[in-house]
Order: sequence, then structure tokens, then C-alpha cells
Amino acid sequence: MVSAFQKKSASGYSSTEQPQQEDVVLSVNGVSKKFCRDLKKSLMYGVQDIASELFGVRGSENDNLRKKEFWALQDVSFELRRGEALGLIGKNGSGKSTLLRVIAGLIKPDKGTVEVIGRVAPLIALGAGFNPVLTGRENIYANMSILGLAKEEIDDRFDEVVEFAEIGEAIDSPVQTYSSGMAARLGFSCAIHTEPDILLIDEVLAVGDINFKQKCFRRLHELIQKGTSFILVSHNSQSILNVCRNSLYLIKGNFIEIGETRKVLTKYEEQLFNLDRKLSHAFSGAAEYAEKKESESLGLDILSVEFRDSEGERLQSVVSGEEARLYLRCKLTREIENINISLIFKEVLGQNDLVLHISSYNDRVSLALPKGVHSLQVVLPYVCLRPGIYNLDVTVKEDSMYDMDKVPSFMFKVVGKESMNRCLFYQPRHWLSTVEECRK
Amino acid sequence: MLNGKTRQYNRGIRYHVIHRPESKMRQPAKLFREMWQDLLGCRGLAWQLMKRDIYAQYRQSLLGLVWAIIPPIVAAAGFTFAANSKVLNIGETELPYAAYVMFSMALWQTFVESITMPMQQVTKAKQMLAKISFPREALILSGIGQVLFNFGCKLLLIVGMFLWFQIPVTASVFLAPVALIHLIVLGAAIGTFLAPLGALYNDVSKLVPLVMNALVFFTPVVYPVPSGEGAFGTIVRLNPITPLLVTTRELATTGGVSQPVEFWLASILGFIGLLLAWLIYKLAIPYTVERLSS
Repeated sequence: MVSAFQKKSASGYSSTEQPQQEDVVLSVNGVSKKFCRDLKKSLMYGVQDIASELFGVRGSENDNLRKKEFWALQDVSFELRRGEALGLIGKNGSGKSTLLRVIAGLIKPDKGTVEVIGRVAPLIALGAGFNPVLTGRENIYANMSILGLAKEEIDDRFDEVVEFAEIGEAIDSPVQTYSSGMAARLGFSCAIHTEPDILLIDEVLAVGDINFKQKCFRRLHELIQKGTSFILVSHNSQSILNVCRNSLYLIKGNFIEIGETRKVLTKYEEQLFNLDRKLSHAFSGAAEYAEKKESESLGLDILSVEFRDSEGERLQSVVSGEEARLYLRCKLTREIENINISLIFKEVLGQNDLVLHISSYNDRVSLALPKGVHSLQVVLPYVCLRPGIYNLDVTVKEDSMYDMDKVPSFMFKVVGKESMNRCLFYQPRHWLSTVEECRK
Repeated sequence: MLNGKTRQYNRGIRYHVIHRPESKMRQPAKLFREMWQDLLGCRGLAWQLMKRDIYAQYRQSLLGLVWAIIPPIVAAAGFTFAANSKVLNIGETELPYAAYVMFSMALWQTFVESITMPMQQVTKAKQMLAKISFPREALILSGIGQVLFNFGCKLLLIVGMFLWFQIPVTASVFLAPVALIHLIVLGAAIGTFLAPLGALYNDVSKLVPLVMNALVFFTPVVYPVPSGEGAFGTIVRLNPITPLLVTTRELATTGGVSQPVEFWLASILGFIGLLLAWLIYKLAIPYTVERLSS
């Protein structure tokens, strides 16, 4: 018996993982932070800030931007509850690491407040405080002390840490002899055993080989069950989807949206694949071309190009995974027997690389049409292109070599329904299972 | 806002925090309470850091602890040689000259170390400071611990020297460590004050050795205490390091204290300086950290 996988509800999580509605462990209110790009000025501003702090001058509204300063974070607010995992999404330089550092108390905000209940462990760098000359064993004590544990607590957890890190006998060798993977595993193992209340993970979610990565995820899952709250920064959308119910989206330090991870990720990916906002507004989904004079025509003139959906409605943007039809309105000035269409799709992101070349000639189908105005259609049952902006070159030929008309560059946009951050193309699929053996 | 609940942990570090932009000096009582709690809570960490640094330093060296005692021996040898060949005209010292120079140099170098140690600790820990929140006082305590450890090594040299030159000691030798502590406190005050600035601008760490190399000649390290007349004598008398160093030396050897008033004045300067420096350090470190690379 074949049964399909059950469709989950919109929240996407099973019923055992209800959010704890009680304690709020972290409250961020209107936090802003400015940085300076110029090193010398930055150091000078540092001295100024120190002076204004010492004399009690520094207030709660540090609004003015001095020369070469910019806002790394602007007016960010959210709350985090016990046992909740929040994803932080944004391009490089959008202020995610800065936000984590303000929450951890490493840097002071310029405006706004951060209220924290419980112990915060920032997982921003693994193995900070490791001295390369000392052995792994000695460094565990140093590292876990820095992370806030007393000696007795380290003694209690010591064996677990060594076992989790899977370093084996090398634990008694100096850390400088470790490979970077071993050092990272040891650092991760120390950090994960500090059992904080709030864990801030900055792109170091899981290191090492597959087995170790799985162990890390299992341990993080256990921590969530125990009530640890997370804030996770990662460029790997799948990790954030798996771990975090909600996510926060930042652009250039500005708070854009907070909500269900799936929704926020889709918005993020749309932005990511869009190079230029101005460009995307120019996409109307259709282009018209002037009629050529009879004398200039080579037999067939393309009048317009547009995409329509399966019902014949004009499409502003093509949707990845769904049907789309390319309509070419053409005027024929004579009867033509062997009409072939060649379509070359290039992705604008990157170096205008060719992603798809289809032609009716290669498919061994051709058209014969009388004089008049006709609408040629290319039906794409599933558009497999991933979200982004594409350039389409359309060439209509007689036979295989005689070009009659071409549209050199028709720009259009593809949008996606789901997360396609890690796909190069769309793959249509069904999820099924069959009973092989029934056990009672 | 949150309902103000606090969890109880026995780690001595507070767990309900509000990070605000305004200066902490606006709520001084809260600030002082925080500082005190941090200081108490960071002792375990300071001990671990100290152990880590000392092991690492000597593990990678052949001569190991010998390095702590070489500088005073070299200085003593050089100056004794110069004095004996009548190149330098140095007056009578109450101890044999070589012993005098060795002992005074050991004290002087301990003082210089207590100034440079906080700066070095902060600069070395840049990575940790930028990425992990831990009580920053631990670095300073660990640094002072290392200064004391290094002096402990020098002590072996000093005891050996006392035995060699058969220098008599009186009961007041047990008070000498107290005076030494006062000397270290003054150094630590200057060092802690300079540490945040030193992490930002490397001019500071270059300037300190220059100044100290000059100051050694304005302190009675290689010559006996001058009578106080003339410009030079006045400068030496006004130098706060002088009474601290001289008193430590005297307590360990002759037993009399020749500059009690100056000693206590300099000590008070040192202790108040250390408290002020601690406050400045605590307030300035977050600003230093944000300007460091991460």
C-alpha cells in the first residue's frame, strides 16, 4: 500500500514542540549601534567615548553620526522566550554579528536596551582562550573557566567533554598539533557543555564530519528540549529551517521582519537573487517590438514576447515549479515551411552564464505557417529555473541556419514558492511510502 | 518588559542584566556593587588563566624559570664592574655594592613588570575579549599573580645572595613583603590605567619601556639615596617609587625605615590609584573591545 507523507500545518512543527509561553528570557528594545569605517578616526572616537563614559556625559540617545560613522544596527526590537530558537537572517554586513555581540554584553548599544535573564554563552568563536602550547586537557580547563564554569563544575563535565570531542589520545598533545577540525571540535564540545540559558550561535553550528555534525544537532535538540533558548545565525537556510520556528530579517542593520522562518526565508531569498531593485521594477513580463517595413522583413517578424500562465493570463514574473507559456506574436509576410525557434536562457546573477538552451530544431519539431499574424507558444509544463533574473535570447529561423528575426535580450524574473537557496534548479517531486513488511 | 525574576546560581556572577547605552557613572552605587561582585566571582578564572600562562611560558623554553633571575644578575655585574673601575662615581651603599644592585634591580624589575603586565594581558587576550563575555578583572588579577610568581623566582636569587654575602637580617624582614605589595600596587595602578588605551594605540606599549629606562636613574636603584639637595636630589625625593623601593630594601636588611612619611603617602597614592584605575578599566574596556577587530 502506497501512502503519501502527511501535509503538515503551517507552523511546520509537530505537537511536541509547543513554544513555552511563560518566561521571556531576552528582551531587545530599539537597539542601535554605530561603527566607524576609518581606523584612525575609529580609535579616536573610542577615546572620546571612554572619556564621555568616565565623566558621566554619555546618555541614552547617542543620535549623531560623527564623520565616517554609519549605523550597523538601527532600532531593532524583539523578544525571546525560554526554549525558543530564533534565526537571524541577512546578507553579509547586515548587522547580525553586531546584534549578537550587543546581546552578549560585549559592546554597549548606542540607543535602546537589552534585558537578559539567565546565562548567555556566545558561540562566536570556538576555542578562544586556547593556548597552542598547552595540551587539550589543560585547555579544556582554561576554556571552560572563561565560559563561566567553576572548577568543580568542569571536573564534573570533563569526561563528557573529552568523549564528545572525539579527539582520542591526542587530548594530551599540545593544541598546536591539532588539525583545525580537531581544535574546532574541542572548542565546540567545551561550549556545548556549559549549559547556558541562552546560546548565541554565530555561523559555527556544526563542525567536523557528518557523524559529528549529527551529534551536534542531536545535542542542540536536547538543549532545546531542556529549555535553552537559541539565536542562530547561519547562511545555511536548511539549518535555520530545521532548528528555528521564527526568524528575524535584517537589511543593513535595519529590522525588516520577524515571523515564521519559511516566510522570512522566502523574502530573504527573493532579495538575495535580486541584483538591483530598479531593474526588477522594469519587468512587466512582456515586450513589444515595432513592425518592420515590408522591404526589410526576412519573412517573419516578432511583434511581442510575453509569458503567460496555463490559463492564458499574463505573468508578471514566472513562478518556479509551475507551468508557464512563452507567447511569441509573429507576423509572417510569406508562407514558411520549416520554422524553428531557439531559446537561450542566461542567468543575470554572476557572469550572465548560459543555463538553458532549447530549440525546436533539436527536438525535431517544426512549424509550417501561412502568411498572417500568428501566436507561437512554447509550453513549459514545470519551469525548472531557480528564482532570479534571466535574459532570454529568442531566435526564429527558417530551417536551421537562416535567421529571420531575433529578440536579443528579453529580461524576466523568476520567483519561487519555497526555499530554493540550495538548489540550482527546480525538481518536481512526490513523497510516498510503501508497506514492505507489517509488524504488530 | 520582563518581570524582574532572577535565577539563583552559585557561580557568583549576576544573571539578570540590562545593557544600556548611558554611562554607568550615572548609577554609581550599582556600578560599585557590580565591580565588587565581578572581583569576587573572577578569582577561579584568574587562577586558571594564571596557571595557563605560566605553564605555557615555561613549557616552550629550555632555561625556564632561570629567565626570571638573569636580568638582575646581569645588571649587577655590569654596574659593579663599572663602579670598581672608577668609571662611575657612586657613593657608599649600606650593603656590598653587587648585592645592593642585585636586590634593588630585582625590586625595580618587579615594579616595571607590574606596570606592563596589565597592558600585555589585555593585548594578548584581544580575541577572547571580543568574543566571550567574562569578568575583565580576571585578566588584571591573573597578571598580578604572574608578577608575584616571577618575584618568587627572584626571591631564590635574593636569598642566595644574602647567604653569599652573609648579610645580616633583622626581624623586620617579615614586614618587607608588605612594603613590596605596596610597590606592586602602585605599579599595577599605573598599568591598569594604561591598559585600555594601550590596546587601542600601540604608542603606549612603546612609550612605557622608554620612560621606565629613564626613571631607573631617578630612583635609588644603582646608587644610594641622595641627600635631597640640588635639582637631582629633589627629583629623586619627589619620585613616589623611591620611598616604596627604599623601604622594602631597608626592611629586608638594615631594619630601620628612613622615609616613613613618604612611604605612607606613596602607598596611599598607590591604593587610591589602583581603585581609580580599576574603575576606569571597567568602564573603558567595552569601548576598547568594540574598536578591536573581531
